Amino acid sequence: MAEKILAPLAGKVVAVKINVGDKVEEDDEAMVIEAMKMETEVFVPCNGTVKEVLVKEGASVEEDDVLAVIE
Amino acid sequence: MRPYFEKMPDLGRALKKGEIKRTEDSVQTVKDAEAEVARAVEGVRNAGFPTEKINARGEMTVWQRLEYLVDPGTWCPLHTLFNPLDNEEGTTNVIDGLGKIGGKWAVIIGFDNKVMAGAWLPGQSENILRVTDLAKRLNVPLVWLVNCSGAKLPEQEKFYANRRGAGTPFFRHAELEQAGIPVLAGIYGTNPAGGGYQGVSPTVLFAHKNCNIAVGGAGIVSGMAPKGYFDTEMAEGLIEKARAFKAKPPGSVKVHYDETGFFRYMYETEEGVLDGLKDYMAQMPAYHPEFFRVAKPEAPAYPPEDIYRLLPLEPKKVYEFDQILARLVDGSQHMEFRPDYGPEVYTGLCKVDGYLVGCIGNRQGYLGKGYPEYADYPGIGGKLYRQGLIKMNDFVTLCGRDRIPVIWFQDTSGIDVGDTAEKAELLGLGQSLIYSIQQTDVPMMLVVLRKGTAAAHYVMGGPTANRHNAFTLGTVASEIYVMHGETAAVATYARRLVKEKDAGRPIEPVIEKMNQLARDYHDKSRPQFCARTGMLDEIVPLGELRHYLVAFAGAAYQNPKSICPQHHLILPRIIKG
Repeated sequence: MAEKILAPLAGKVVAVKINVGDKVEEDDEAMVIEAMKMETEVFVPCNGTVKEVLVKEGASVEEDDVLAVIE
Repeated sequence: MRPYFEKMPDLGRALKKGEIKRTEDSVQTVKDAEAEVARAVEGVRNAGFPTEKINARGEMTVWQRLEYLVDPGTWCPLHTLFNPLDNEEGTTNVIDGLGKIGGKWAVIIGFDNKVMAGAWLPGQSENILRVTDLAKRLNVPLVWLVNCSGAKLPEQEKFYANRRGAGTPFFRHAELEQAGIPVLAGIYGTNPAGGGYQGVSPTVLFAHKNCNIAVGGAGIVSGMAPKGYFDTEMAEGLIEKARAFKAKPPGSVKVHYDETGFFRYMYETEEGVLDGLKDYMAQMPAYHPEFFRVAKPEAPAYPPEDIYRLLPLEPKKVYEFDQILARLVDGSQHMEFRPDYGPEVYTGLCKVDGYLVGCIGNRQGYLGKGYPEYADYPGIGGKLYRQGLIKMNDFVTLCGRDRIPVIWFQDTSGIDVGDTAEKAELLGLGQSLIYSIQQTDVPMMLVVLRKGTAAAHYVMGGPTANRHNAFTLGTVASEIYVMHGETAAVATYARRLVKEKDAGRPIEPVIEKMNQLARDYHDKSRPQFCARTGMLDEIVPLGELRHYLVAFAGAAYQNPKSICPQHHLILPRIIKG
């Protein structure tokens, strides 16, 4: 069962803290998105393994874009 | 109204495992910063002579007097680091705070007798005026521990005269008395001239047997014919006369207890004076707490220590304000006012020590699609928009109507700007909020959790609300400035950059100035700078914020100037619908 990490807002990805294959737990920090001079942390929604990371640092994202997939 | 307040809706949630894990470093960073503030506070405590030296003279220090006087566990120090004119002594030489004496809340202040026998120093009168303002706003007694040797003469030009100079507190004492607020004074040591007025201006004087108060002191060697200058001959004469000088200070208890009766009470021991103050305070008229409490006092459902994990030091990081509030209020319960409107601001009723208070705070983070409704750009918490400003106006007005004290929490980057924001009336709504605050008559306090910026720092119950803001607390994360330093550097130098570039001159010197300005802004917005200059009245450890909220609520409800019967409160009915 795969679960997507979605961008909660539009902005620039300033940190990616997970890699494909990482074992992760719910509420681990996955990424940081900067918008309007503020940094919003994005968290892993469930325990599992990182299957895909779809963005890199510096990427611009829109709200609800898929950032990563956890399996 | 018991059904409204006995069990209010829950606020906040327990921290998740992941939150605890990833915030370990943050806890340590905040605690390290608090330890640094604690070292500065210790420096103030240790100013002047060592305690042992004062004790060897048979005297207690001001700190020992406070320790003996104030009910255990109630002391909330204020202005500890206040030193606006950078005195070399590291203090304005008065120690003050809010605390209970004999079970009643009072504003308490004492001269530090370790430093120049409690002399007037630069910045001290401003400190005292903050204290008299506080007693007036909370309508609670002011208790003095007078021990004042008079002016530090080499620096008299900095404080003796002027509109808010060293004589102004004597007028403030009279003003408090006219408002029915008693000023009690325990008096120790030699108090000549200014010290004499410090002693005589309060309402009831409790004298130690060795104290004196007088229009002038005996310390000036007289009998020298002035020449208009000093020379060796005169200095030799002075040495001889000073050696023979044995005058007793005027205004001892023999005069002011036995003859004038200015001293209402006289005590053989230092502790006796403090016991006298305690007995008097115990008799002071005050409402019993049950008169105003809406429920039994209750600790928050979640530990206040969690705040160390919830409030990031980094100003760019987003967090959940509601989670912090849940760690500060009784039972982590609340009644939120208009939760579906103005999402950037929390407004709601909470209980602190069983008393009803209105809480207002900036929420952080993305505010969702379509907000603010008047703009085509997204909104972010910390900023104020049209709905948030209207909601705060509404809430403050209703708190005033219901006589509910207000606790503000700021972490704001300012009010939305630009023509779109102007069309949405934000300039006018900001000033409307100032009007709304001014037309209430309830005490308010402010906690600057992190950023206090631009006009938002004014309109959200900031210290500029002189008649309402009782005190402003900061944390080690606080920073206060008109705008961020980099923004200020751009505003100041952008055109200059263009000019230099167009003229073919190097732009590096301008860049250096921009960096210097940004660095200055950073340095002059740090918590200790803000406390030293008075932008903050105290920097409080995150785990002790609730302690101050309890003191504020208890003092505000001890003797309010007007009351609203609980069953006539309208705000809880509006919230319930």
